[in-house]
Amino acid sequence: MSASRPWWLSPWLSIRAQLALGAIFVAAAAPKILDPPAFAHMVYNYRLLPGAAVNAFALLLPWVELLSGLALLLGVWRRTAAGLTVLMLLMFVGALSVNLARKNPVNCGCFDPHAKDKPRAELLADMRWTIARDAGILLLAAQVMAANRRGRNVS
Amino acid sequence: MVRLGQAALLVVAAAVCAVLSNLAAGPSRRLAWIGEYPAALTVPEAPLGPTPAPAALPAASAAAAAPSAPVKDYPAHPDRPWIAITGEEAADLHSRGIPFLDARRTSVYTEGHIAGARSFPIWESSVDDDIKGLFEEGADVNAPLVVYCSGGDCEDSHMLAERLHRFGFNNALVYAGGFPDWEKRGLAVEKGPPR
Repeated sequence: MSASRPWWLSPWLSIRAQLALGAIFVAAAAPKILDPPAFAHMVYNYRLLPGAAVNAFALLLPWVELLSGLALLLGVWRRTAAGLTVLMLLMFVGALSVNLARKNPVNCGCFDPHAKDKPRAELLADMRWTIARDAGILLLAAQVMAANRRGRNVS
Repeated sequence: MVRLGQAALLVVAAAVCAVLSNLAAGPSRRLAWIGEYPAALTVPEAPLGPTPAPAALPAASAAAAAPSAPVKDYPAHPDRPWIAITGEEAADLHSRGIPFLDARRTSVYTEGHIAGARSFPIWESSVDDDIKGLFEEGADVNAPLVVYCSGGDCEDSHMLAERLHRFGFNNALVYAGGFPDWEKRGLAVEKGPPR
């Protein structure tokens, strides 16, 4: 580790954060790609997109997740891929927060677009937990971005 | 700063993959690129419940034949995409041979559905062809069609009823209790893929 680099930007930590972030996004993308109608249903439940855009979003987003995740796992375009994951995570947190604020319980659909229906209170509690979890993943993504700033290549 | 060119390339590659993947998907996994969900921006204020059922209109001859169980009539309602019916009404309509349409996913239908119901999965791209098929079979657009899904907050039956209405069917009856209510009543169910 270089003397000018703080511990939280060390290559040891950055590589692990990058691989974890990549694995998370690949795992999240796969079930959505395998069943787009189920994910479209989840997207619809968020009530944030016009009806005409729901399906296109549900078809496209999982592939952006998958390619970003694969880029991180393979160490290709790390900063770009991490930047995209940051944007997606901010979008997920925003979407959940808006629905939490308007008390519209939604299944996250993050890793399982076939999630079973639950009571409203349980879904709202799950949404708070998911926001916290996404905030944690956001920290991972921010670490990867910071560690891969120009002149700070971890490899 | 994120390299915008790389990001754009990655998103374009994702779009190409999405197009190819959707083309290669089977009918139950395929999505139309442009969705038709008129209520997509409407937040439900509370769990969906059945709307008031239509007033009982006993048919004269049937009422005379079975005075203890008046048969309801369901006139066409071109001004409304659907009206809600209760479990008792659904059971009565089923016994009278009225068609039942299951709006849930094909995979869920296969696991169990109301006996004789047909699969019209609203979230699958095949649903428009299924509705056109009703026309080809010569279905009467003013005759009752019972649509159902999973009960509770499930909106799929309402969405299917609205789609049917846009195609010109004027008498969709939404069985809001859906399959869970039907099973609870111990009424006839079947398993297996759509025929």
